[in-house]
Amino acid sequence: MLEIAIIVAAIAIGSGIALVAGGLVGIGEGYAAGKAVEAMARQPEMEGQIRTTMILGQAVSESGAIYSLAVVLLLIFTVMLPLVNRLLELL
Amino acid sequence: MEAEVLFYIHSFPISKPLLFTWIIMAAVSVACFLLTRDLKKVPRGAQHFLELAVDGIENLVVGNMGPEGKKFVPLILTIAVYVGISNIIGVIPGASSPTENLNTTLTLASIVFLVGHWAAIKKKGLWTWFKGFFEPYFFMFPINIAGEISQVISHAFRLYGNVYGGGILLGIIYMVAPYVLPTPLLGWFGIFSGIIQTAVFTLLAVVYIQIKIS
Repeated sequence: MLEIAIIVAAIAIGSGIALVAGGLVGIGEGYAAGKAVEAMARQPEMEGQIRTTMILGQAVSESGAIYSLAVVLLLIFTVMLPLVNRLLELL
Repeated sequence: MEAEVLFYIHSFPISKPLLFTWIIMAAVSVACFLLTRDLKKVPRGAQHFLELAVDGIENLVVGNMGPEGKKFVPLILTIAVYVGISNIIGVIPGASSPTENLNTTLTLASIVFLVGHWAAIKKKGLWTWFKGFFEPYFFMFPINIAGEISQVISHAFRLYGNVYGGGILLGIIYMVAPYVLPTPLLGWFGIFSGIIQTAVFTLLAVVYIQIKIS
C-alpha cells in the first residue's frame, strides 16, 4: 500500500513540475505579443500581416506547453486515477 | 483516451464525439442548403455572412499560397467551419465538443498531412518530392522524417489540448463555485478560445500545405 502511495505522490509531483513548461511558454508568448505591439505602433499599415505572423509564431511555440499538458493528462487520467482507486479500496 | 460509448447500432459503437460530429454535419448541411437556395447578385441577409466567410478563407489561402492555392479553399473552409462549430458547441449544456477527443483532431491533422504530400507529389514529381527528405544533407533523413511526424502530432495535440484543458479547468471551477463565476469563463474558454484555436488550426493547415508544396 505504501508503494502505491509513493507512486501516486511521485506522479502528482511530476505532473506539477511538467506544467512549469506552461509558464515558460507564457513568458515567450507574452514577449512575442509585446514585440508585435511595438511593430504595429511603428507601422500601423502592416497590422494584419503582423497579427497573422504573431499568432502563427505563438501557436508553434505553444507546442511545448501542449506537449507537457498532454503528458500530464495521460499521467493523471490513465496512470494515477486507477492507482488512487486501488488505494481507496485498500483503505 | 477512449471515447465514452453512448449506445450501439447493431454492434457498431456510437460514441459521444461521433454523435456530435453527425449532429454538426446535419446542421451544416441543412444550413448550407437553406442559405444558398436563392443567391442574389446583390447580397441580402445571411448571404452577407456567407460571402464574408468564403471571402475571408479565400483571401487567407490565396494570400499565403498564391493563385495555385485556390483548389485548397474548399478543404480549408470545411476544416474551419467544422472545427469552429465543434469548438463552440461545447458551450451548450449537455453537449460536448468533438474536438475534445484526440481521435477527431488527429484525423483532421492527418487529412492535412496527406493532402499536403499528395499535392507536393503532384506538383514536384515523385523523385523530387522524395529527394526533399534528404535535404540539405543525406544524413538529415531521420530528422526530416521525425519532423514530418511531429508536425502532425503537434497540429493535433494543440487543438485537443486547448479544448480539453479548457474543459477540465471549467469542470474544476464548477466544483468550486457552481454559480455566477463559470458563466464568463464559459464565454472565455468556449467561445473566445474556441474561435482563436479555430483560426490557429486553419492557419497552420494552410501553412503546412504551403511548406510542403513550395
